[in-house]
Amino acid sequence: METLSFEFPAGQPPRGRALVGCVGSGDLEVLIEPGLAGKLSIQVQTSVNGSEQRWQHLFARMFDGQTPPAMSIDIHDFGATPGVVRLRLEQGFEEIGHD
Amino acid sequence: MVNTYLAHDLLWGMTPEQVPVGAPAWAVESIAAGHPVVVRRSLTAPDQIAVGVRGRLREQRYATSMAVAAISRCVRPEDLCHAESTRDLPALHALARLRPLLDASGWAWGVSGSAGFELAAGVEALHERSDLDLILRTPQFLDRLQARELLALLDASVCAVDMQLQTPWGAVALREWAGSSRRVLLKDDVQARLVSDPWQPSLEQVA
Repeated sequence: METLSFEFPAGQPPRGRALVGCVGSGDLEVLIEPGLAGKLSIQVQTSVNGSEQRWQHLFARMFDGQTPPAMSIDIHDFGATPGVVRLRLEQGFEEIGHD
Repeated sequence: MVNTYLAHDLLWGMTPEQVPVGAPAWAVESIAAGHPVVVRRSLTAPDQIAVGVRGRLREQRYATSMAVAAISRCVRPEDLCHAESTRDLPALHALARLRPLLDASGWAWGVSGSAGFELAAGVEALHERSDLDLILRTPQFLDRLQARELLALLDASVCAVDMQLQTPWGAVALREWAGSSRRVLLKDDVQARLVSDPWQPSLEQVA
């Protein structure tokens, strides 16, 4: 079990919060809450050791060329593939938008 | 040849020589010890099948493929519902309690994950804090209220119980289908996607 932290520049905090995903192998749980203006902070708890680079790349690619909302994202990962991580994050972003 | 093997089936017959060069040593050891491999959801060449090799540690999972012609034996999760074990572990107690309840549900169900591996292979894969992984064959629609009732049964267990619903289109977690999320994650051989009905998935968001 490993806990990782990431930070990215961001805009204004969103209004809503969202909890998506599922506890179970190959999946992840994502909690999104409003963060501090200008900062997107991500905490990842993962069952896969030595995965920091992979997460860094995945987030960097997702937020490349855009200013994401200032969110505080908590991820509990149970060995999800990058594709599943992306889907869950997009699902969460959609839900905070619907608030 | 039509591929009749399903995700979570345990297969015997792979030999250490068939493990790709560069595979971790523990994966070769597992095969050399005669342990089965687990069928994965993934596309392969028609004469191959996607499998995973299990090591002793949780993070020891190695994805590879094996020749269908090499398969000497197959055990399905549903073959393990009534397998007996003398080990005194929460996951096995949970299984003993759920057995009559699931038998009465009218659906075909089975044991997967480390419990399935241990019951099928006689290898000690479970420990004190292991979850119990189950599958439910749901060729027909299981509504979300039924899913909630089923989840409540499982959640009254002495350990965490994870059940995967196997629809004709792929697998979905019972816990998520029983929850309030509008769309749920459906995994098939090709992709994962978010769908609102795992029994009638139109093409939605694809991973």
